[in-house]
Amino acid sequence: MSKSDAPFFVGYLNIPKGLKGFLLKVSLLLFFGFTAGALLAGATQDDPGQAGFRFDFGRQTVEGVIQAKPYPLLHVTKGNERIEIGETLMLTGQGKSGAMASIAALEGTVIEATGILLNRGELRMLQLLGGNRGFKSLETDGPVPASESLGTWRLQGEICDGKCLAGAMQPGRGLAHKACANLCLIGDIPPVFVSSQPIDGEEYFLVGSVEGGSLSAAAYDYVGNFVEIEAALERQGDLMVLKLDPKRIKVIR
Amino acid sequence: MSVKYIPVQWNSNKWKYNAIMLASVFVYLLIFIELTPGIMDNEGRINTQVHNARAFGSCAFFMLSVILCIGPLARLDRRFLPLLYNRRHFGVMTAFVAITHAGYIVDWYFAFSKSNKYEALLFANTSFSQVSGFPFEVFGIFALLCLIILAATSHDFWLKFLSPPVWKSIHYLIYAAYIAVIAHVSLGILQDQQNHVFTLTFVAAGLCVAILHLLAALHERKHGDAAGDTSGDWIAVCNISEMNEGFANIVTLSGGERVAVFLHQGKLSAISNACAHQNGPLGEGKIIQCLVTCPWHGFQYDVTNGRSPAPFTEMVPTYRVKLVGDQVMIDPDANPPGTFVEPVPMPITEGA
Ligand code: FES
Repeated sequence: MSKSDAPFFVGYLNIPKGLKGFLLKVSLLLFFGFTAGALLAGATQDDPGQAGFRFDFGRQTVEGVIQAKPYPLLHVTKGNERIEIGETLMLTGQGKSGAMASIAALEGTVIEATGILLNRGELRMLQLLGGNRGFKSLETDGPVPASESLGTWRLQGEICDGKCLAGAMQPGRGLAHKACANLCLIGDIPPVFVSSQPIDGEEYFLVGSVEGGSLSAAAYDYVGNFVEIEAALERQGDLMVLKLDPKRIKVIR
Repeated sequence: MSVKYIPVQWNSNKWKYNAIMLASVFVYLLIFIELTPGIMDNEGRINTQVHNARAFGSCAFFMLSVILCIGPLARLDRRFLPLLYNRRHFGVMTAFVAITHAGYIVDWYFAFSKSNKYEALLFANTSFSQVSGFPFEVFGIFALLCLIILAATSHDFWLKFLSPPVWKSIHYLIYAAYIAVIAHVSLGILQDQQNHVFTLTFVAAGLCVAILHLLAALHERKHGDAAGDTSGDWIAVCNISEMNEGFANIVTLSGGERVAVFLHQGKLSAISNACAHQNGPLGEGKIIQCLVTCPWHGFQYDVTNGRSPAPFTEMVPTYRVKLVGDQVMIDPDANPPGTFVEPVPMPITEGA
């Protein structure tokens, strides 16, 4: 086509005849391209799996003995229809705050705890009500179950923040979620290791430090990655707890 | 063209352009947000905030890809030039879509802690020394800042205030933004993806942008404007037989500037090829109602003196023209913008 025959578009004048059909086709292509893009990108998102707050269960009130370390745990002594005696529940505060600050002083005593359960399969956590409504000291001491050592294990899996993993966020794990998980861990939310090979039927393990305290910040660099760890495993109540030294974490991918 | 600055000088083509663009974006968001949750047959439900963040984020990425395809497409095929015409509105809209994406993320993943959510965005993940697990958010923040700067300076006021060359170089930030978005997505969501359909569309869009730029560069190489033949102080442009009434031939001077030599009413005149608006290629324009009309946004100039007709005030440099036999020659020393040069009549040939 020679220069002089080509339709010449000037924005503020009418569209030249020869261009109208072409521009219509381009517009349709754009429109249907975006339609297809939305379907492709939107309908193929990964399944975050069944997890979340159990608002359907309603507010739960149980009694139990407090263990403060590595993270606040409740060994249930008086349950209800959803929570059995003998279950060990991880406790958490509201949002990205753990229950540590409020509950540490009650170590070894019996409390009445009230909150909302959240769970992913066997992983269960109780989010205490806000303020002072979440727990009441019953002013008696109770027995913290003795921990049982299960030896040292080499495991592959992912370190997550237990709360998002239990469904507070969906999806609540992986690298795209890493900053969020770190923020939870900084706020003393209990970290949980999801193992790719279950031990004794368990795939979720609470993670603390070798000294029995909370997970060291040096481990935050590995959150969300698929890693191999070597750590001592203990059973506390009916919960499995790993004592992890960040130096013994290796990134696999 | 600008006499005084008003937010937007609307015309019916801009309305149509924006309507098509808005409809495309709207249908994307509508389908993603409202329709796809029903189509997915998942056990668990993705949080609305995350779902919406993904809708807006992916939409902004596709919009940016389309915007970056327009330039090379227009160079490869002039019929795409109308898409360039109102591209800046598309860009501004992309900035808003991207801001919405960031808003959903910050208000969800970075909220609910005791820290300020914007500070949390910066300190929550500090694994800068590793690739897998890198705080990919920083790339998103960078791209978003670029888009905001570009949107904020998109108006012709800034173009004039900063001068077209400075404005143009700032607007090359769009490439930095695009690369940052690619890094943001690749080190973020793609790391977790089990279903790879989005990954494939993402790669396809990125490849489209890259390949079109490559093709356009090759095309430019092949069909680019001829470099002027220097013989003495004057530069040969072309043979008179190559001139078409109402159109120009372009020649590149040794310094890189381009000159457009027009044939208008049988006479030759030369002006700078760079439009005073955004450096659009005047020589690829056409003379409409006695005025050279820029192919990008339609700014107009009198071919004899490089001035826009009153009340407009834009001016471009002019050049002296002469004929040596059949050769059209120009003096490479530019006259100050707006200088009148007497047009040179073409000899009447038998065919004409
Ligand atoms: S570059 Fe905008 S009209 Fe010429």
